[in-house]
Amino acid sequence: MRGGFLWRNRVLLTSGALLIVSLHLISTGVHPGDLAARPQSVFLEIISPVDAAFTRLGEGASSVVGDYLDLLHVREENARLREELARVRSDRALLAELQVENRHLGELLELRDALGTTAVAANVIGSDATGLSRTLILASGSSNGIRPGMAVLSNQGVVGKIIAVSPHASRVLLIDDHNSALDGFDQRSRARGIVAGLVDDGLILKYADRSQDIRNGDTVVTSGLDGIFPRGLLVGTIKSVHREGPGLFLGVRIAPAVDFRGLEQVLVITQPPPRLDEPGKG
Amino acid sequence: MRFILLFAAFAVLGLSFESALPRLVSFRELIPNLIIILAVDLGLRHHGVLPAILAFAMGYATDALAGTHPGLNAFMMTMIFLVSYEISTRLMVTNAFVGATVVFFGVIATALATVAIGAGFGALADSGSMLAGLTLKAAISAIIAPFIFSMLSSGKRLTGLPARAGRE
Repeated sequence: MRGGFLWRNRVLLTSGALLIVSLHLISTGVHPGDLAARPQSVFLEIISPVDAAFTRLGEGASSVVGDYLDLLHVREENARLREELARVRSDRALLAELQVENRHLGELLELRDALGTTAVAANVIGSDATGLSRTLILASGSSNGIRPGMAVLSNQGVVGKIIAVSPHASRVLLIDDHNSALDGFDQRSRARGIVAGLVDDGLILKYADRSQDIRNGDTVVTSGLDGIFPRGLLVGTIKSVHREGPGLFLGVRIAPAVDFRGLEQVLVITQPPPRLDEPGKG
Repeated sequence: MRFILLFAAFAVLGLSFESALPRLVSFRELIPNLIIILAVDLGLRHHGVLPAILAFAMGYATDALAGTHPGLNAFMMTMIFLVSYEISTRLMVTNAFVGATVVFFGVIATALATVAIGAGFGALADSGSMLAGLTLKAAISAIIAPFIFSMLSSGKRLTGLPARAGRE
């Protein structure tokens, strides 16, 4: 048996079968509730606490390194004073951190009240593990009422939408990822288009008609027509408009309103927005 | 079982590290792709059905934390395992330099596949601006690969596993 064809080529055959399974997963996609989604949910659930611990550790390490560098300049002081200083600084840093978090959460609550919808606040605990896509990991999941497809906002504007959940963690596809698209419009000219992410950073407004009067500095907001994001949320500002070249549409670049790298808390809208007509008509 | 646990522990730590670090480091291209290094080690030094399944599982775990097309990383890790396995069995070389070279090209291939599958093959033409960062990421991954191989060997010794399992 050991000298047989199957045995001799078992690695190649297994790898081949696994490649076929992978291709099947890529082509069909994994939907919530699928058998294939369960291992993903388990992986997310296992890794998210370690991920959160790494994030805390990293932030702590940055703080410790900063404190150590400061202490190098006060060598003359005795050990007790150093400890006291470090403790006071640590407490102050913690207090400042709590104040910032409190302010962020307060702003998110104000945003939720302004939207008049149900929403949950969530802490950001990680980013895309490979860095090739633009996603975030949140420390809240289905046990907090979060489901795939829900809109994610910050006090600065639109962040993205939920693409995967486990009981205590979830993943957000940022609006500047090249797989992302949402319905938006230029608030001044009312020109509608699809706001999409680019491979090399940034956002574009697709399918904006050449006849539209879109200008640099105009504000782009969500239209509410995609059934995910409530109408009127800030997406970004027009960075450049290209009218040269062939084609039916304008080349419009948008600077996102949100600093995605600095996000610490976000708001997940748990109630889908009402269906709307086109902007300017409804 | 020890073999699975060792690689699972390395994979969980590697994924958590890769996921947490971009929030602390402003230039994410500096962060190496640790899972590819693990897949290369499996392909070069462990020839069997279980290492192939482990490479696939590590890729699928990466899919849970990265990207938007589940199965893409699983596919790429299995492919990288297979290439490493073929190099190891046909060319009979398993040294760290060969491993680092496979890691370098593996990182680039995975990134290009992510762009191609996500945004279409046409988007590859627009991905010129990301190539410099991508090459840097691949180079850093390749440079640290020998250290990770060495850590894995130490882990295998500590858990009583042979550093090179060879054929089952």
